[in-house]
Amino acid sequence: MELTLKQYNIIRIITVILLSVMFSQAIIFRNFWIPMILLVVGSLFLMLLRKNVKGVLVDERDYATGGKAALLAMQIWSFIAVVIMFALLTLSDKSPVYQAVAMTLSFSVCAFMLLYSVIYRYYNRISILDKRLILAAFVLAIFIAIFVVGALRSFSGEDNWICQNGQWVSHGHPDSSVPTQECK
Amino acid sequence: MTQEELAEKAGVRRETIVFLEQGKYNPSLNLAHQIAKTLKTTIDKLFIFD
Repeated sequence: MELTLKQYNIIRIITVILLSVMFSQAIIFRNFWIPMILLVVGSLFLMLLRKNVKGVLVDERDYATGGKAALLAMQIWSFIAVVIMFALLTLSDKSPVYQAVAMTLSFSVCAFMLLYSVIYRYYNRISILDKRLILAAFVLAIFIAIFVVGALRSFSGEDNWICQNGQWVSHGHPDSSVPTQECK
Repeated sequence: MTQEELAEKAGVRRETIVFLEQGKYNPSLNLAHQIAKTLKTTIDKLFIFD
């Protein structure tokens, strides 16, 4: 079935809205498997749709504009994140949470810049055929990382009830209510 | 020839043709060649170089 650009855009917007609703509901119910599965299914569905579109979806001007926008977004975000990080670090004696947020921000900026420089080098050096292979490997690695994080999150026992001094104490945010069996 | 037809033959989106006409976008050599070929002319006749 061939799709026009307009049809594709309408289906894409509806898909994104549906995915967002399901994502938010799944996170509210603290289920992290559904968003991961939805992410993979949604991405595959949109890729499949894209193949059936008659017409050009993205051209060289989009890539050029996208590149400029990505660079500017990275610079703005890095600057804001670093300013917030220093502000939070100065307030860290008031609450340890501030320090954790500051560290998360600084590491995210470092990871972001590292990723940018890796992608920049990759576009500068490698031929088109290799680029596609590496892009596919990169997307696969992201999905694997998401699944690993989800699996660790689900099976690590981080959010559980712990028996301490004859009392059940919540560790993290357990989904279940307090265990009924005796705590020894 | 309409913008839509030219865009299709040159392998770009119609908006890119609009931007080219308005002088808001500098095409790659490949795209310039493709458009010139589609319009059966040459790049130097089609584009003005400042």
